[in-house]
Order: sequence, then C-alpha cells, then structure tokens
Amino acid sequence: MSVDVRPAATAPSEPKERKRKAPRLANRLGILGGAMVASLLFMAIAAPWLAPYDPAERVGLPFQSPSSEHLLGTNDVGQDLLSELIFGARVSLTVGIVAAVVALILGTTVGVLAGYYPKRLGRILMQGVDVLLILPFLPLLIVLAAYLGRSLLNTIVVIGVLIWAGPSRVIRSQVLSLRSREYVLAARTMGAPDRWAILRHVLPRTALLATGAFVRAVSTAILLEAALSFLGLGDPLQKSWGSILFWAQARGAFLTPAWKWWVLPPGLMIMAASLGFALIAFAMEERINPRL
Amino acid sequence: MTKRLTLPILLLCLAMLAAACSDSDSDPTTTAGGDTATTQAEGDTATTAGGGDETTTTQAETSEPVSVRAAITGDEDTLNPYTYVSGFPGWNLLMMQYDSLMQLDAAGEPQPWLAESVSANDDLTEYTVSLVDGVKWHDGTDLTIADAEFTFNYFIESATGRFSRDLRGVDSVTVNEAGELVFALAAPNPAFDLVALADIPILPMHVWESIENPGEATFDISTNVGSGPFKMTAYEQDQFYRFEAHSDYFRGAPSVDELVVVIFADDAGALAAIRSGEVDVGFDRISPEQIELLDAQDPLDIAQGPEFTTQMINIDVSKRPFDDLAVRQAVQLAIDGQDIVDTVYLGSATVGSPGWVHPGKTVYNPAVVPMHDVAAANALLDDAGYADSDGDGIREFDGNPMAFEYITNSSDSLRLRIAELTAEMLAAIGIQATVVSVETATWEEAVWPGFDIANGRNYEMATWGWSAPIQANTIRIAELVNSDPGIGFLNLTGFANDEADAISAALQVEADPAVAAEMISELQVLIAEQVPFIMLAYPDGAYVYNSEVYADWEFIAGQGIVSKVSLLPPSARP
Repeated sequence: MSVDVRPAATAPSEPKERKRKAPRLANRLGILGGAMVASLLFMAIAAPWLAPYDPAERVGLPFQSPSSEHLLGTNDVGQDLLSELIFGARVSLTVGIVAAVVALILGTTVGVLAGYYPKRLGRILMQGVDVLLILPFLPLLIVLAAYLGRSLLNTIVVIGVLIWAGPSRVIRSQVLSLRSREYVLAARTMGAPDRWAILRHVLPRTALLATGAFVRAVSTAILLEAALSFLGLGDPLQKSWGSILFWAQARGAFLTPAWKWWVLPPGLMIMAASLGFALIAFAMEERINPRL
Repeated sequence: MTKRLTLPILLLCLAMLAAACSDSDSDPTTTAGGDTATTQAEGDTATTAGGGDETTTTQAETSEPVSVRAAITGDEDTLNPYTYVSGFPGWNLLMMQYDSLMQLDAAGEPQPWLAESVSANDDLTEYTVSLVDGVKWHDGTDLTIADAEFTFNYFIESATGRFSRDLRGVDSVTVNEAGELVFALAAPNPAFDLVALADIPILPMHVWESIENPGEATFDISTNVGSGPFKMTAYEQDQFYRFEAHSDYFRGAPSVDELVVVIFADDAGALAAIRSGEVDVGFDRISPEQIELLDAQDPLDIAQGPEFTTQMINIDVSKRPFDDLAVRQAVQLAIDGQDIVDTVYLGSATVGSPGWVHPGKTVYNPAVVPMHDVAAANALLDDAGYADSDGDGIREFDGNPMAFEYITNSSDSLRLRIAELTAEMLAAIGIQATVVSVETATWEEAVWPGFDIANGRNYEMATWGWSAPIQANTIRIAELVNSDPGIGFLNLTGFANDEADAISAALQVEADPAVAAEMISELQVLIAEQVPFIMLAYPDGAYVYNSEVYADWEFIAGQGIVSKVSLLPPSARP
C-alpha cells in the first residue's frame, strides 16, 4: 500500500494553521473509532468468557429488572440480556463485515470494469448502478428480505447486494483517471493484455480507496442488519442486537420502564459499532481520497 | 452513502424517542390519528347535545351522561352486516347496533333475547322461536316477526358472508299461524342456537328489501338502522365511530349514553392513549406482559377471563415417524404446558388439555389431564427402538435422524417463542426440531393448503391455533379428528382412527344432549391417547379499562368484554 503516497500528506510547505488541523482531528477520531471497533471485536471473540450465562438458556424468570444476578435483567423468556448483548456482537459484526466483503467484491469488480472500459460496458454498468441508487432503498431491502426468507445468509446477501453501488462509483472514477496514466498507456502500447494492466497497475492503486469504502460499508451493513432484524425480517432466533430490539418491541418493552435495560443497551451497541467503523472510514478518507 | 446511513439511524432514533415518550405517564403524547379523532368526536358531542331529545335532557338533569371512549386498532368500515371487517372486534361492534334472537350470557351460553322463547323438536331438526313485543328500530318503527323472517331468508339467498354460512343446512324459514318463526333444518343440529340464533343480526325489512345485491352495494351509515342499544351517528374512516344510546331499547336504556370508538394504527398507540387517559377502554386484548404494569396504574383496571382460542403443535401423523403412536405420545409427554403458560403468557392462560376441550367447558372430561414426564417419554422411545446410535444427541428412525423442520408464522411473536421453547423441550428426548419462521401465508399454505384438507399437507411440525368458535361449539371436535374430509374438514394432521371416526360421525347427528356429551367425553380420552395434535394452552383474554369512567364491564366466557351486555344496566343483562 506504500505506493499510494499522496502529495497532500507530504507537502510540508503549505500554510500550517488551516491544513494541519483537519488531519489531526481526523486522526484522533480515527483512533477513537479504532478503539471502539477493537473493543467490540474483543467482546465478540471473547464472548463465551465474558458473558455470565449462555444467551440461549433460560436462566431466570421472564421480564426481570436488573439485579446483581442479571445486570441488565432478563428478556421475555428469562434469558440473560447482558449475555445476549455480548453474544449479539458476534452476529452483528459478522453480518456487517461479511456483507461489506460481498459489497466490496461486487463494487470493485463493477467499478474497475466500468472505469477501464468506459465506453460501452462502462455505460451499461453505470446505468445499472444508477438504477440501483435511484430505487428507494429501505423498501427494496425489506421486500427482498421478506421474499428470500429469514436466515443469516439471506440477510448478508441482501445487504451485500444492495450497498455495493456507491463504492463502485467511487472506484470507477479512480480507475477512469488511472487508465490514462502514462505507465498504463505504456504497458498497453507494449502489448500487455488488459487483464495484466488491470491486475498489475489499476487494482493495486484502487486498493486503498476500496479499503476506505469497505470500512464505510461495514458501518452501513451493521445498521441495516439491525434495521432488518428489528423489523423481524432477519432471523429472529439469532442473537443479534437487532433481534434483541425486535423482541423488546414485540413484548412491549418500548412502553414500559424496561426500555432502559432492554432497548437502550443494544441501541447504544449498534450506534457504537456503526460509529466506530464510520470514524475509521472518515480518518482513512482524509488520507486516501485523491486531492483534486 | 450518507443518505442511506441516515434512514436506519432515523429509524433507531424514532424508536428510542417513542420509547422515551410513552414512558412518562403524565405525557399525553400519542399518535396524531388518535388525537384528531378524539378532538373531532368531542366537537360533535357539543353540537348534538344542544339539539338532544327529551330523554337525554332528563338524564342530564339527574346525572352526568356517561360517555365512554374505546380504542380499537384498524378500521372496520361502515359496520353494517356486509361491510364490517374483522370477526373481532368488528362483529362485536356490529352487534352494538343490532340484536340477535339469542344473546350469550356471562357463561357463554345463548339465552333468549329478541326471542321470547326458543324451542326445538325432539330430533333437533326444527326450531320454533316467538318474538318479544315492543321492540323498536332506531327510526321508531316496530320490529315485527316479518323483519325476522325477511332477515333469515335474505341471508340464505345472498349466500355470501358469515351469516349465510351460519345458515347452511337450513331448508326453510317460515312464520306459522301462531306468529312464530319456524326453522326447518336438513339434519339435526344441536348447536343451531349458538351458531345461528345468537350470531345473526336481525335486519329491518323496510331498509334492506331495496338492496338487491348486498355483496356489491355501497353503503353509508344511513343503512345502519338496527334495534340494538346503540345507533351509529358518525363515522370517519381510520379515525373514529360515534354511537349514541338507543333510549327506547327494549331491555331498558343502556347505562352508557355515548360510545366513541377511536381507531388507532397499532397497539402501542392505543396503549399510550389509555395510559394517558385519552381513551377509557381498550377493545383489543392486551398482551400478558402489560397486565401487571397497567393494573398498577390508577385508575386503570383489568378485566380478565377465559377465552377459547387454542395454541397447539400440529404434526403430520401420516408420515414416518409420527405415524408411530409411541413417538406422538413421547412428544406429548415431553411438552410442559405449564412452563409455556408461565413463561410465555406469564400465567394468564390455561394449560392445554390433551383432549382438546377447555377445562372451563361443561362437557370437559376431568379424567383427561395434562401430563409431563420426560423420563417416561424417553423410555417410550427407547422401548420402541428409536435409539441414538451415533451419540449426537438425536435419535434415529429408519436410519434417519429424528430432525424435523418446525414452522411457525413470523407475524405472531408469542407463537415464535412457543416454538422456541417447545423445540428446547423436544431436544431433551432426542428429537431435533429446527424452528423456521416464515410468512403467515407460507405457513398457512404448508399446514392447510388452500384451506382444504383434500390438498394434503406440506409440513412435518408446525405451530397452530384455532379461533374461539371451534372451541366454543364443542361438537366441532368431530371436525378435528374424523378422517372423512366431508366431516373432518379441520383434520389438518392426517389423523385416521376407526374408533374416532365412528364416534365423531355419530356425534354430528346426535339429538340427545346427554348422549352427545358422553360421546365428547369419550373423544377427549381418545384424543389424549392417540395424540392427533399436541395441545399447549388456551390464552386468557385481558382488557384494560378506566374504572373511574365506567367499570361495569361484563366478561363473557370465551368472548371478552366487547359486547352490548357490558354497556347495559345489570338488570337488563341476560
């Protein structure tokens, strides 16, 4: 990734006040985001040791308020809410990351192809992207999720398939500029096949940009998973933060004092995960994005 | 990117906001729809009260007129016999305006109402009904035997809708020389009083005889002329209904002078309105977890009682391994109905009797009791040769693991929890039931394709529930177990048993109530033994009301509080 050294980051002669403040703020936010994501990842990986109970086991009376035994109380069938919350990190982060990988693969492929062959193929592909961007997003997501049925895999596929369009546009514009660089032109004039030019010259130079897009996509995917699960369109038997909210809504916790320990914590977790990734993406974009 | 981020964030924020708002009791925030409706309704009261008739004025002098505001979820159209939408509470609100020949009492038994007397011949093929005198329609004309005769023939001829279905098997409805209504039935029907006479609203001939095709006619509230204790005076779609007391009511003037039914978009809105005092009673059942919370708040009170809906597990008993009685009995023994009642319904339900019949019914056979014994269930499976040979915790049958898909409908979250819990219970006897939550239509299509059992079945295990009328009329037990699709048209599990076939076929035409009760007793024992389906629970009904405004609600067993009986003075009740 060292190839992508941007002039903006290395130019020491520019006016100090204005130019240096922004990157420093971005850096700090990036570190904050990184810390949030790291601690959530740790929580997900160490869930079996951190959680006081098995989240699938009924360990107490239903609808208990927080106590020393159950720090966040119990849900409607007596499962420990804290354990559900900790294990929920696994599903939410997995869906977020895997869906973002799906989106990244689709988005990069389409972006590179459309950028490298901008005439016919590019036009057709970008029109497809435009259609996807124009379609009302959440309703489409809901329809697809309802149609495909409720499972973790379907949730990942649905989210992945719907969020790649944005990244693909960003990557395409980068590729459009790359393909007319001297070294690419040189390679082509020397008879290098397109495949080689793309893999050797274009793809590596979009990698950083794609990483930024990926981190942002994770943030989006986590929110979407929560939204789908909350609406009951995810797998309601998977312990994710969204499904905790689904059950809270289904069993009236939004109307009772239970919202403080049943609704708020998963809400904050979703916010933290999404915000963490968004902050990293923000910091990365400050460094990566091409300056014009 | 940002645009797509904002939507879910917004959703989350809204959800949190909603939770925060509804938490504080003093906050009168509620849905916009509810708000408008009440304001408008109150505006209407003011204008009509000025031009009120004599009775209202006298009442106003003696005591404050009682006005009750009720909450429902979902519009019920113009609430006449051809437009009301749901069986509950649509039919119940319809019957506020109309009367039937018989009316259910608190025990859920039909009693003569518009009828002075109801008698049947010995073989229950002919019912004779005489009418009470002095009943007036809302427009002041007299209700006569001609209206009743017209009503039944009208429903028979129009051949669509619930009331026409009630009258299947009725050959003729005529008036005899003594001025009594005579129903001639094609076959004996011991439940005719319950399913037809207590269900069908009597229509005014002078309003309805000009309506040729009620299925296609368009209606407004001017058609809503009935004889019931309330007449509808205003209706705004998706907002509210307003009913005024019919002061000439033949059983005496209602104890409530005005009933405003406010339409809410969902339960959450309706509950928030009740808690903030904006409405006085909820006409929809409240879920078990709300009972304690609402009861703790003054002046709210809860009316609770048995209802006859059922929660059960259907298994395809025509397929391996459920065709083996030992497997079915083991499944039944593994299920702990009490645990489901305690955990999912928080105690506000009755444990399912393995013989189908609700323990509150008079024909319930007390010898049939729920059994729960995991050790005995395991022993049954061991003895029948279903061993777990590969040690993965799942038994095998014919070389296959006992692992089944267990479907449930996603729209019913309580049922989803029931599926989760029962799957856990089955794991304890080495049966793996994988809960799959599917759309309601998909679930219905798998369990009851095309609502016709001739189309077969397409499931292994499924959650299921029957609505109250099937439990309320105990003779319908025959429809659940007979293997002939003509009689057993609700036999969704492919159950076939010669003894059950013989008893249920005889039960359907048995004229002597004592003999019929005996047959129902036998069938309960047989069902408990043969396990055509697994009974889990009968959820209770619970309704919340503001006792300062009106507290005299009558809970009709199996029906709840939403009926005209609740709004009549105790002396006028059946």
